[in-house]
Amino acid sequence: MRLIKLLHKWLSLLVALQLLIWLGSGLFFNLMDHSKTRGNEFLIKAPELTAIDHERLLEPSDILNNIKLKQMAKPVNSLKQIELLGQPYYLLNHHLGLYDHFYNEHSLINAYTGEVLIIDEYMAQVIASSSYSGVSNISSSLKVSPPIDDFPKELNTVWQMNFADELNTSVYIDASSGRLVGHSNDDKRFADFFFMLHFMDYGTLGSFNNWQIVFFAILTLLFCMTGLFWTLELLIKGRYKVR
Amino acid sequence: MSLHRKSRKYHKWLMLFVGLQFVIWSVTGAYMVIFDIDYIHGDSLVSDNQASLKSEQINYSISEIYTVHPEAKEIELSSLLGDAVYRFNEGKNKYLISADTGKSLTPISDDDAVLIAKHKYNDANVKIKQISLITENPPFELSARHLPVWRIDFDEFASPSFYISVHTGELVTKRHTFWRIFDWMFSFHVMDYVEEDASNKLLLAFVVLSLVASLFGIVLTYFRLWKQNGNKKQRVRKVV
Repeated sequence: MRLIKLLHKWLSLLVALQLLIWLGSGLFFNLMDHSKTRGNEFLIKAPELTAIDHERLLEPSDILNNIKLKQMAKPVNSLKQIELLGQPYYLLNHHLGLYDHFYNEHSLINAYTGEVLIIDEYMAQVIASSSYSGVSNISSSLKVSPPIDDFPKELNTVWQMNFADELNTSVYIDASSGRLVGHSNDDKRFADFFFMLHFMDYGTLGSFNNWQIVFFAILTLLFCMTGLFWTLELLIKGRYKVR
Repeated sequence: MSLHRKSRKYHKWLMLFVGLQFVIWSVTGAYMVIFDIDYIHGDSLVSDNQASLKSEQINYSISEIYTVHPEAKEIELSSLLGDAVYRFNEGKNKYLISADTGKSLTPISDDDAVLIAKHKYNDANVKIKQISLITENPPFELSARHLPVWRIDFDEFASPSFYISVHTGELVTKRHTFWRIFDWMFSFHVMDYVEEDASNKLLLAFVVLSLVASLFGIVLTYFRLWKQNGNKKQRVRKVV
């Protein structure tokens, strides 16, 4: 029992600060306004779909044949009918990741004309603006390779469109598929700071599996168990008396 | 009462009420940080199937789809067990048809579900323990929007299960023992045993009490480690 008490005292010194950070950030998660911290203040949820003219659509088998002709000899895993800015496209997948945010390779082909669409800066700006309900303009745009600070789990190269609004909204567009990765803003970044603290994710890899948190988790586990034994001893010895 | 004695009293009493939750936080937290989250999500169970489509496989055109299903949306051409297939939605219905013949491939039979599950599993020689059809009352780990599904339980370490959609033949989700435990751990960590939502009043009450209890604990650390050691030294000096 003496050892347990000694451990509890010295461990308290080691884990005190981190424990307060965990409790404080935990309190923040409990109280935070989830509608704000998602970063979706200016997100247009479901962009309207325009009617597709079925007669004009090219056949997928022709697209596959054409790709061979054009010597874009990349294998095609799937071909998906999508819509970008009111135009139908075929989204071709050349490397399939388990999830959208895992590494994927795509190309886009206009479903009426068969032309290849590259998501360049201008296209990315237009797609980003079509998902943005605010009134501000894009102040800067840049192509970013992972890791991406606002979306650490995203493994694809993206276009980052920064809007000049009071929340510093950034919109991310997948550079190979035109997929909307997501919106981020200062409210989300503020919450992300607390997640970084709670997960001890100081390299901001978007993960809570790092050696420093495992180390502190084990110390804290010991600390709490010694505290539990101490409390049990006090109970058994009848030291909890209500006067 | 001195600050030292006051702190001891309040730390002792508060921890009687919130101490067990500290143990739960530290056990569940340690579990969640020690197990790699990608392992937990069962990503390593899924095979990396890069199946390339060939134009010879496609003998059924999308204009033929539109004649039968004029409202077809989100048509996708991909592979299922090496064959080219179309998937699309019409209204609330989901369709899976052969891209060779246009024949409907649904509902997915139990045999097909097993084949698909084995194909998607990382080990081709995997053994199946049991298979069941879930049409209502999904288990906790399965979202109701995926119904109906085949659940395929593999006879492997950590009892992995794949859920295969009856309407699309897709792998909709996967689980194994360590993920199931992780879900429990998270529930207990955020003290929401139903919806796993961290913004609940019970958690708020416990966090606030815990913060107060911890601050008294820090006062105790100061007195017990700092002051007492200091006093000891002084005492030793006096004796000397």
